[in-house]
Amino acid sequence: MIRDGVRRVLHLALRRRDRWEREVEEEIKLHIALRTEQLIGEGHDVEHAYAEAVRRFGPLSESRARLMDAARHREGTMRRTEFLTDLRQDLSFAWRGLRRQKGWGAVTVLTLALGIGATTAVFSVVSTLLLHPLPYPNANRVVLLYQQPISGNNTGMSVSIVASPGVVRAWRADARSFEDIQPGRFNVRDLKTASGDPSSVMTTSVLPSFPAFAGQRPIMGRMFTASDVESGAKVVVLGEGFWRERLGGVSTALGRILTIGDTAYTIIGVAPAAMRFGAPGRRATDVWLPLDIRGKVLGGNLMGRLRPGVTPVTAQRELDSIYARTAGGTPQFSAVVKTPGERVAFRDSLLLLAAAVALVLLVACANVAHLLIARTSSRRRELSIRTALGAGRGRIFRQLLTESSILCAMGTVLGVFVGWIGLRLLIAARPSSLDELKAAHLDAFTLGLTILISVASALLFGVLGAIQTSRESTNEALKGAALAATGTGARHRVRRLLVVSEMALSAVLIVGAALAVRSLQRLQSIDVGFDARGLYTMYPTWGAKLEDSVSRRQFLTNFAQRVRSVQGVREVALVQAPPGSRSFSIGRLEIDGATTTGSNDATAFIDVNAVQPHFFRLMGIRLTEGVTFTDTSAASAQVIVNASFARKQWPAGGALGHRVRISRTGTEPWLTVIGVASDARPSGPAAESTAPMLYLPPSSASEAIIVRSAGDARSLAPLAKIARNMGARALTIESVENLMAGFMAEPRFVMLLLTAFSAFGLALATIGLYGVMTFTVAQETRDIGIRVALGASRSSLVRRVIGRGVGLAAAGAGIGLAASTWVTKIIAGRLYGVDRLDPAAFACGGILLVAAAVIACIVPTRRAVSVDPMTAIRNE
Amino acid sequence: MTKLPVLKGTLDLLVLRALSWNPMHGFEIVSWLERAANGSLELDDSALYQAVYRLEGKGLLQAEWGVTENNRRARYYKLSPAGRAYLRAETKNWLQYSETVTDILTSARDAAAMGGAP
Repeated sequence: MIRDGVRRVLHLALRRRDRWEREVEEEIKLHIALRTEQLIGEGHDVEHAYAEAVRRFGPLSESRARLMDAARHREGTMRRTEFLTDLRQDLSFAWRGLRRQKGWGAVTVLTLALGIGATTAVFSVVSTLLLHPLPYPNANRVVLLYQQPISGNNTGMSVSIVASPGVVRAWRADARSFEDIQPGRFNVRDLKTASGDPSSVMTTSVLPSFPAFAGQRPIMGRMFTASDVESGAKVVVLGEGFWRERLGGVSTALGRILTIGDTAYTIIGVAPAAMRFGAPGRRATDVWLPLDIRGKVLGGNLMGRLRPGVTPVTAQRELDSIYARTAGGTPQFSAVVKTPGERVAFRDSLLLLAAAVALVLLVACANVAHLLIARTSSRRRELSIRTALGAGRGRIFRQLLTESSILCAMGTVLGVFVGWIGLRLLIAARPSSLDELKAAHLDAFTLGLTILISVASALLFGVLGAIQTSRESTNEALKGAALAATGTGARHRVRRLLVVSEMALSAVLIVGAALAVRSLQRLQSIDVGFDARGLYTMYPTWGAKLEDSVSRRQFLTNFAQRVRSVQGVREVALVQAPPGSRSFSIGRLEIDGATTTGSNDATAFIDVNAVQPHFFRLMGIRLTEGVTFTDTSAASAQVIVNASFARKQWPAGGALGHRVRISRTGTEPWLTVIGVASDARPSGPAAESTAPMLYLPPSSASEAIIVRSAGDARSLAPLAKIARNMGARALTIESVENLMAGFMAEPRFVMLLLTAFSAFGLALATIGLYGVMTFTVAQETRDIGIRVALGASRSSLVRRVIGRGVGLAAAGAGIGLAASTWVTKIIAGRLYGVDRLDPAAFACGGILLVAAAVIACIVPTRRAVSVDPMTAIRNE
Repeated sequence: MTKLPVLKGTLDLLVLRALSWNPMHGFEIVSWLERAANGSLELDDSALYQAVYRLEGKGLLQAEWGVTENNRRARYYKLSPAGRAYLRAETKNWLQYSETVTDILTSARDAAAMGGAP
């Protein structure tokens, strides 16, 4: 079939070549023959005449070659002109045809546009955030380095340990796996402005070799040099954003003085905005400072570029061995080598959405295929006439292909536009935890991929439909039976197949969305273990005036007093880790007397929180055993643990009196358990609450204040000024209720998108089914007419049509739901309190599909029922 | 007499002119031109065919296989509407050009100084 056509085309090309070569030969032969005759007529004898004729023509081989060339050139030019005229004709015909069927054309273009648009939007995010997040040279080899306790990161968050300077220097010197390792230190510093208002800048300290690593050059001035570092010069390079916003982008910025903290720095250059350090999504650097590699503090962030061919695993092992050599003793930490894309917080959600949108695109393409096939179906009569009037099969084929190409081109252009808008909307609607989203943009990779997909679909559907139709039309010529059963069997099968697959894909999407919805519901109803109503956290930003822990403690104590006196405030307490943040201690959790179980054996991150005794009452956390702290002195050896840990460790009860400690060196004092607090999840419902949590008496580690107030945030606002007057640089007040709601933001965002996608997919599938059922009913008009004439009841007709439609939907649902049992494995890890095979979600999928099928069948059913048997039977 | 070489570009015109009455095949064109030039032009057969093909490629001539009086198969060329228009325009240009050149070549030395030909 297809092979046959292809062969035909190839033959055509070869034959054409033969043909004009033969024609040129013939012309030459005729010319020489006539010339010979002419010369004979003038009196020469035959041989001389012939020789003369040949001579006159010119050296035969040379002339012939030149003529062949000329003829080939001629053929080429003529073929080109013919092609162009045909193309113009095809285009205008196709355009006229489309204008006649505006509705159908519009639906096709719109479907394709929405499918491509959604895909473009989501894939842009994947591409710019996950695949190509950093504009560095050889970015695919750039990695982030940090350390972790050997037992791994059990916190569920991305936490990292700062490698000590000695280790960093050793890594830089000895690691063969890396071309370069760059340390960087982030800071927020005070900037003295002319007006005296406090202002802060984000600073990043880097080595002079960093700009080369990042492949960036200064926009103005220069970057740091080794001599700057050697001489300890007080120089800075501005970030482009800062330079434009705060200094107005003036060219006279060089040489100006910037006072940061208490030191005056000279501005020596401006770095481009593309120069960034660290994981993508960080706030842009305002001011770059030079870093001395020999310094005592190098900062906790490391970037490296792997040598070509080195895997992260190999690199990590090498880093570990160097660390073991340098640090001495038993290694407590292991290195982690991660690509920047892996550090994106919501990577998993993103990949999930990308998969979902790919499904939607498939459904959209199936629908477009559907529409294209349906259209060529209805034009068979017209095309048959054209064939009879002389249009070759190739011509018709080309024409149909042109039509579908125009549609796909329009759909693609519109789709890219829709995608761009969609991306803007996504970014605008992003929850705060997905703030990195704002860096996403439409990039060449996504555009290329999108165009590739649409071109492929255009070719595939256009060609298939065109081949089918052109063959049929040449076979049938003017046969009147436009709806003959033969020849449409195959096409109808294809359409039914398309509908079933659309239904299946929709089923998968619906199940995913349903699971996300139920997951979110569960999330929202999780008992977080404390009362968040009217709860606020206050975080002072220490300035230069409050450098040490003593003055900070003093500040907090005094400030707490002032807070208590505010109208509406019920209670105030000092804490180390207020709701919304976590504090960790790194070490081994040891239990006196018990052989430690495997997981407690190794160094890990252990949640701790130094709180005042009335903390539990304030938060509404119940003490299931024991009492709150009684000894709040510096030497206090009391500790309160969380209920899950107590249950796990001492299942028989009686946690009180046991002793625990977090051990690093083995000499730490033991702490006695005096109380057990019920589990609380101040970091959000999703956080793991069965991990051990140690509450400690208040100490210098207290950094923040929590407040329970009957009033609202406005009543607390004046406290910011008070804090500043007391010496702090700023005060951040947050409502814990908002915080808790914020934790839902990401799951809710994902759920909304999934729901939107599945709704769209289902709508398309419904339209597809409607098309098929309409066609079926039209096909069987005669049949139906006969049945009615023989006495069939309306209800039996209705049952037939709806039965067929629901049958298709059910087939699709069956396949889709079956596939879902496997597909949901992918999202199983992100579901809270919902089993991945949740029957409600699956039932939802099935029910919605059946309902959609019934809706799709309404119009066809009505048509079937209103068939007049007389006209139907007569109308052969 | 010595034959004059055909100036570049004029061969096309000559071929078009030859075909401006009736369609002819290649040999007929050559013969016609030989007769019309009365032997004073150096006409190269293969160059002529090249010119014909070129004109056909440009769309100024249309070709069709036909039959000669002696029942031989021959490729007949005829002017296309575009070819006819081209012939008209280029003939005009050529006549104007040759007139100007002729004037200059036959004028007195100071013809230009005396105001030149009208």
